Amino acid sequence: MKSFYAFLKKEWLEILRSGKLTILLILFLLFGIMNPAIAKLTPWLLQAMSDSLEASGFLVTDVQVDAMTSWTQFLKNIPMALMAFVLLCSNLFSKEYQSGTLVLILTKGLARYKVVLAKAFLMVLLWSVCYWLCAGVTYGYNAYFWDNGIASHLWWVLVCWWLFGVWVLSLLVLFSVVYSSNSGALLGTAVVTGAAYVAGIFPKTAAYTPAMLMDGASLLSGAAEPETYGKAIFITIVSGLIWLGLSIPVMNRKQI
Amino acid sequence: MEMLTITNLQKRFGAKPVLQGVDLSVPEHSIFGFVGKNGAGKTTTMKAVLGLLRPDAGTILVSGEQVVYGQTNTNRYIGYLPDVPEFYGDMTPFEYLTLCGEVCGMKQSEIRERSRELLDQVGLGAETHRIKGFSRGMKQRLGIAQALFHRPKLLICDEPTSALDPVGRKEILEILLAVREQSTVLFSTHILSDVERICTDVAFLHDGKIAKQGTVGELKTMGVSKEFILETVTPEGAVKLVQEFGRYLTMNPSSKQENVISQLPEEWKSGQSHKTELRFTGEEELLFRVLQYVAEHKIPVQKIEWAEPSLESLFLEVANT
Repeated sequence: MKSFYAFLKKEWLEILRSGKLTILLILFLLFGIMNPAIAKLTPWLLQAMSDSLEASGFLVTDVQVDAMTSWTQFLKNIPMALMAFVLLCSNLFSKEYQSGTLVLILTKGLARYKVVLAKAFLMVLLWSVCYWLCAGVTYGYNAYFWDNGIASHLWWVLVCWWLFGVWVLSLLVLFSVVYSSNSGALLGTAVVTGAAYVAGIFPKTAAYTPAMLMDGASLLSGAAEPETYGKAIFITIVSGLIWLGLSIPVMNRKQI
Repeated sequence: MEMLTITNLQKRFGAKPVLQGVDLSVPEHSIFGFVGKNGAGKTTTMKAVLGLLRPDAGTILVSGEQVVYGQTNTNRYIGYLPDVPEFYGDMTPFEYLTLCGEVCGMKQSEIRERSRELLDQVGLGAETHRIKGFSRGMKQRLGIAQALFHRPKLLICDEPTSALDPVGRKEILEILLAVREQSTVLFSTHILSDVERICTDVAFLHDGKIAKQGTVGELKTMGVSKEFILETVTPEGAVKLVQEFGRYLTMNPSSKQENVISQLPEEWKSGQSHKTELRFTGEEELLFRVLQYVAEHKIPVQKIEWAEPSLESLFLEVANT
């Protein structure tokens, strides 16, 4: 365990000193502020544009916004935030392969599975910190301006989306181990995530795909119950563990 | 006792065979020079010893324990310095060595002490800047420090001096010499003067196999043809000798026979050079023939002497076969 913590500490130091952590925190903080801000500004924006909208045949009446508007905005923004996160973290393995920095550490006797686990752990930790920062900021502003109670099953929605993010990261770890380049890792992750999304379109498969966890709007509005997400959550957790588990033998066979 | 034993090591990359049955044994506490042309397979062999590369066949034993590809158990005995060591640029040398110590499972107090000791030894004791700003020589010295950190039984260095200036080379060779008391050193190189300077044992890798192996003293005399050096006063005299005795000259492997004249330096042919040293491979009989020719053609000679047997001669001979 000592060598695992040592490598984890190195990863942390690297992400801190390279400025990646600062960039991610600022990004997610901005997303967190943007959700209630957009909701708050919507009436003012529509009012400001009312003349031109009227000329086009649209009549602007009194626009009501509440916490629901802000959470809906959150669900629109978080996929972008996840994409930015994946892009920023996609070189966590490839940088080591390409520069050859891993060679010296592995020849010191560090087991390869510890490299995989340390990097995966750090990614999930970072995602958790960033995601909950974003959600926390949105929650705080919503509580200040409106009432979060209006959103049904809010914690379920947030946990589902966080879990979906973790699942995507487990894919990123697997493809980062399989391929030595950023593009390979990103492409593999995008293809499988895309396949899960497509499977979510068909009614017969929708309940079984991790992509269902992205559909928070139905839960927020009360149109769906958390129980209907059970199978998707189970499959997300199991497949995520499988991706991570597969990464270890692949890493053990990888020529470095 | 042997620190490293390689038996019938084979590796091919696609259709190209790189190692074709390498057999090598490195005695304990030796400084072992692993010599071969560029692309001969030295780095491939070393990576196989480190478990970083899967061999097609063969066995590798480090301190009696078998190396398994992808596993790192035998690496606890090994310190490795690659030709271009790469570090985490955002760390300081002290932090990097601390990471090495922690990965090896050493105690914190020991890590601190050993880090300071090694950084002082390699001349980086006062360095607090991040590694990304280091020069090639500084990285090489830090590379040695990390390789020695856990007091390895076997230190593997892949061409550690090839890109260094003479001062840097001397420093690295001195460190390797000093290490011998605690460790066995295996270092690959194509700089034969470095091998003659510090090695106790040498192996020549050629055509994917060990062509020669032994102590430096043994190899210097092992099967090497005698050589003598003749220096003429004028280039014209040298050209005449080359025309007559070209096939006995020690030159480029490809220039031994009829094309030797075409490969002579342009300054010789134009008569602008005074450097007209010729190195002949042959016994006394050839020497007498050359002297007779020199006398008959009245070629002014500056100097003639038997050459000391060298690893370079042997290496060239091996490379030419």
